[in-house]
Amino acid sequence: MSNRTLSRRDFLKLASAAILTASGLLGLEGLFRFLNTQTEPLPPTEFDLGLASNYPPGSRTLLPDIPALLLHAQSGYSAISLVCTHLGCSVESKPEGFACPCHGSRFDPQGNVTRGPANKPLRSLRVEVTSDNELRLYTT
Amino acid sequence: MRPSFFHHLHPPTIPARQARLRYTLAAGGLAVFLVLILGITGILEIFYYIPTPTEAGNSIQTLTFLVPFGGLVRNLHFWSAQFLVIVSIVHPLRVILTGAYAPPRQFNYLLGMGLLVLAILLDFSGYVLRWDEGIRWALVTGTNLLKSIPLIGNALYTILVGGTQPGLATLIRFYGWHIFGMTLAAGILVAWHIFRLRRDGGIAVPPPPLREDQTRITRFELLRREILAMLLASTALLLLSTFAPAPLAAPITASAPASETARAPWFFLWVQQMLKLGNPFFWGVVVPLAVLVLFSLIPYIFPKPVKPELGRWFPKSNRIAQGVALFILLSIITLTLLALLPAS
Ligand code: FES
Repeated sequence: MSNRTLSRRDFLKLASAAILTASGLLGLEGLFRFLNTQTEPLPPTEFDLGLASNYPPGSRTLLPDIPALLLHAQSGYSAISLVCTHLGCSVESKPEGFACPCHGSRFDPQGNVTRGPANKPLRSLRVEVTSDNELRLYTT
Repeated sequence: MRPSFFHHLHPPTIPARQARLRYTLAAGGLAVFLVLILGITGILEIFYYIPTPTEAGNSIQTLTFLVPFGGLVRNLHFWSAQFLVIVSIVHPLRVILTGAYAPPRQFNYLLGMGLLVLAILLDFSGYVLRWDEGIRWALVTGTNLLKSIPLIGNALYTILVGGTQPGLATLIRFYGWHIFGMTLAAGILVAWHIFRLRRDGGIAVPPPPLREDQTRITRFELLRREILAMLLASTALLLLSTFAPAPLAAPITASAPASETARAPWFFLWVQQMLKLGNPFFWGVVVPLAVLVLFSLIPYIFPKPVKPELGRWFPKSNRIAQGVALFILLSIITLTLLALLPAS
């Protein structure tokens, strides 16, 4: 054992340890890829909201499925996402803005944070009026 | 008599102090008993529960209101699970406050920590299986918390959720983990924990020459006490299950209105309260993990309890560990109470 050459027994020990470690890692990698797969269809990113005339000027419409709030102001249509930017709960629309039930974040009517823990404003979503006067909302 | 597993756990005689209620609080034994009830009632629930978002709620209603004794089975499962989490906290606390993790029992203490984590994860996954409005936001925030972990967060999210948002794949995955993956792991750890307990000489007491109290009790006396404890526990569980049914709200629908307050399950209220402070990764992942690591390291980093002091409460030799544990526990209780205050 004192010389530099590896004895047969030590060599075999080392080799089996190396092979076992390598196959373990390969197995883990396989398991990781097996589980890290998503088979469900992606959630929709486009929503048809029907005739634009259903949303008269000055209206604020709650769209709980998205979830978003559709606004029709003088400048046109706009929408604010109701997904809290902290950890994703749905915020509640209130006269003074938006309130999150989970950790108490508050947002003003434009969606800017007025109280943490959220530190990003609520997302504004793109709304388009199609050629046949329907509204389409995009969440991406 | 042929030695059996029963005899393995019940030697002919044991030191009286190992079976003294005011020393052990019977916490470990109660945990085993609760695990048995959870196993039996859980298997029965499998026959009716349907793990899909549209059917989960209905199938629980069917089980609860239509199936004879179905409500009892579900309530027993619910209450046993809540008690198991409580007992899984009281048990290590007893061990720390009596210094019972002293060598050679450090490793078994770690196994116990693993069981505490599993009890909490099993309780959380079981809670999610209700798939009702009551669990919705805890599931959303809990899984989104994973995304806040640098580098591996998104992969962990997909592995757990099975998609980009909670849905059918999520429910199936939680179901699989709950009834098989975590249950199997818990079963193995329970067996190992009990095996180590016996290997390490049973419940911690001073070695024979240092014992002030030399009395011993027989296995029959031990059994008598165990049966008494089981009867008392069963009575409490049956009473609760009869008069305080497990919660169930309306099934999750995309269009349900946002609620005024959304509370985490009781054992995660302290984390929810910390999340109000800001950075989700720090308060929601780092701090809870740090608490777990600190608790796991107690037998290794603080002054060790000395043998002659074993078998009683608050030994002098490990006061630092006792202080740290009590401080963390009180902080967690305070955070929990704060989370229960009405939202401002
Ligand atoms: S998810 Fe809205 S405050 Fe945390």
